[in-house]
Amino acid sequence: MAVEVKVIKKPGRTIAEQVYIPEIAKGLGFAMGRFFKNTFGPQAKKEIATVKYPEEKVEYPERFRGIHRLTQRTDGSPRCVACLCCSTACPAQCIYIEPAEYDPDDPRYGYERYPSVFMIDELRCIFCGYCVEACPCDAIRMDTGMHMPPSTQREHFLYDKETLLSIPGRDGSYLTANPRHEPGDPTHPGVDRERGH
Amino acid sequence: MPKFTLDGREISFDPGETVMEAAWREGIEIPHYCWHPGLSVAANCRMCLVHVESGRQMEMPQLAFDEKKGEYVPTTKPKLQPACQLAAAEDIVVSSTNDEVKTAQASVQEFLLLNHPVDCPICDQAGECKLQDYYYEHQATLKRKLTEPVHKPKGVRFGPTIIYDAERCIMCTRCIRVCDEVAKDHVLDMRERGNKNEIVLAPGRELDHRYTLMTEHVCPVGALTSQDFRFKARVWFLKSGQGVCTGCATGCNTHVDYDPRYGKVYRLRPRDNADVNKYWMCDDGMMTYTRHDTDRLLMPTTGRGDERMPVGEDEALDLAAEKLKAVDASKLAVVLSAQHTTEDNLALAKLAAALGADQLYLAALGGWEGDDILRSDDNNPNRAGATQAAGGVTLKSVDDLLADAQSGAVQGVVALGWASAEQLEELAPLTALDGVVSLTSHVGAFPAVASVAIPVADIFEIDGSFVNDKSMPQAFRPVLAPPTGVDPAWKTISALAGKLGKDLGFQDLQSLRQGLSDAVEAAQ
Repeated sequence: MAVEVKVIKKPGRTIAEQVYIPEIAKGLGFAMGRFFKNTFGPQAKKEIATVKYPEEKVEYPERFRGIHRLTQRTDGSPRCVACLCCSTACPAQCIYIEPAEYDPDDPRYGYERYPSVFMIDELRCIFCGYCVEACPCDAIRMDTGMHMPPSTQREHFLYDKETLLSIPGRDGSYLTANPRHEPGDPTHPGVDRERGH
Repeated sequence: MPKFTLDGREISFDPGETVMEAAWREGIEIPHYCWHPGLSVAANCRMCLVHVESGRQMEMPQLAFDEKKGEYVPTTKPKLQPACQLAAAEDIVVSSTNDEVKTAQASVQEFLLLNHPVDCPICDQAGECKLQDYYYEHQATLKRKLTEPVHKPKGVRFGPTIIYDAERCIMCTRCIRVCDEVAKDHVLDMRERGNKNEIVLAPGRELDHRYTLMTEHVCPVGALTSQDFRFKARVWFLKSGQGVCTGCATGCNTHVDYDPRYGKVYRLRPRDNADVNKYWMCDDGMMTYTRHDTDRLLMPTTGRGDERMPVGEDEALDLAAEKLKAVDASKLAVVLSAQHTTEDNLALAKLAAALGADQLYLAALGGWEGDDILRSDDNNPNRAGATQAAGGVTLKSVDDLLADAQSGAVQGVVALGWASAEQLEELAPLTALDGVVSLTSHVGAFPAVASVAIPVADIFEIDGSFVNDKSMPQAFRPVLAPPTGVDPAWKTISALAGKLGKDLGFQDLQSLRQGLSDAVEAAQ
């Protein structure tokens, strides 16, 4: 089969184009026109795709994964029960937890444990959200809508329990959106041997 | 041997064996909770129900829903039998997988989980829990009960080592049987019936015998948790190595569970060995792992008391060699250790022979009570091995060493290990000698009186073997890497010999072990 050759004609240039100077003037005219329009023109007519970060910020999508927070119970204690499911799921291994036990007098004793140390290395974190998926208590969330504040020191990116508990969600709440019966609540039907079955 | 058929497979059995035992020996696991190879048969969990398909069928009446009629009609179903209690008989045909059995297994599983709190995220057993395994294997359906589960006491302190959670308990009574049959102490029993059932202590007692951790070990669920391991680690992060317990001369076989991320040992578990420890270990043995990272000697030191200074590894060996050269070989005491491996002791015995020192001593721990269950009267794992390593030479005691040091018959000491029954005050006469070299993994009385102390690797960091009180050599493998700059004792001894201008005739563990068989022959 013979190869068909299709000849494409090279677009010609006019004399004005070949001289360049009128074209340069045209281009500069366009650029200067945009410059004056975007700098001094009325706000509605401006054509700017970028924002002046950090003074201006774009709205993030609703499900944007920001830095983590630990949700609180109504009494301010962490909902986290230190089960280590998040650090098991974490592909970056950036979560370090040390579990501890409630005092024997505490109504939560036996039902729950809590994290005595909860540390997230936000520099190591890849913001995949697996920890949030893994959490059985809705204790860790990434709904803060916040970036990490920049710093020049690595230690500033190690977020401890107190820091994580002090970050609110986007709605400003420190609590969870999914409340449930907590041991120690007056409604929780925990029964001990003294009170009978 | 007579045979029976289990799920289409022929299984031979010894007369008197149960179906469960015969299958277990063949490596087939019929699902079970309450049966344990080392305990008596209780047959109360009903998980191991099997169908004997041969012979006369026992039928049980039941009501079954008839789709056509739209109502329940009386029918029958075959009666199933617990495999753990069913004596194996010639030519019976047993099924542990047919539809009847599968229904029974799923029902038993659902029943056991009826009032279970399903608090796996905070339960230490999660990851090695039979309820979890069998749920996926034999149930895998949602729970039909919608009402609040029955609540029972949680976090009950049974004793200094064990915490009990009645809600998670499935009443298999393994813990009761361990106390009765292994520890011979009926301290646990059962109270109430049905869903109010719980394990209780004997009145006025605590769970405080010497085998309390075995109750936690046999618990198939998370009802009993060990105070020591509680909330320390998640088991899926742990890896397991094979070890031998250093607690006493019985030499129980262990699984050493460690976290490779932190290089930390979290617990020991008994490793089944029918000739040594069967399925068990004592509490003191289980806790020997805590020795590993407490009071380690990590840097070579020189000088005594307030003048003790850390030095480099090479300097320490030079210094030790210099001090030992100054001592006449006939006045050099070599102290073997009943806490160190046979290989370490052999290397030291070879050094003694190469230097011409013929005064060998043995340092060992004391202050221990044995029993007739597992615990040997001697709490040193390797007295027999050290004796073998010495060849025909009689090992003198540390008391003899002190007497010899005071009489002037001993002017220099090379001691292996930190362990000695004698405390620092008793070893004080050795501080009068200039050349006291201690090769030790931990700090202790001998390192404290030494003028040069050189760190060596601990038991979890080395290849080696112990000879137990039944003269059985048992080898074990390293699970952790030794600290930087620290070698196994036999290697350090070889390096020290090099500094003294001697060649001990071994380069690696294999050629050293060659010498071991020679030493055993020489001793005989």
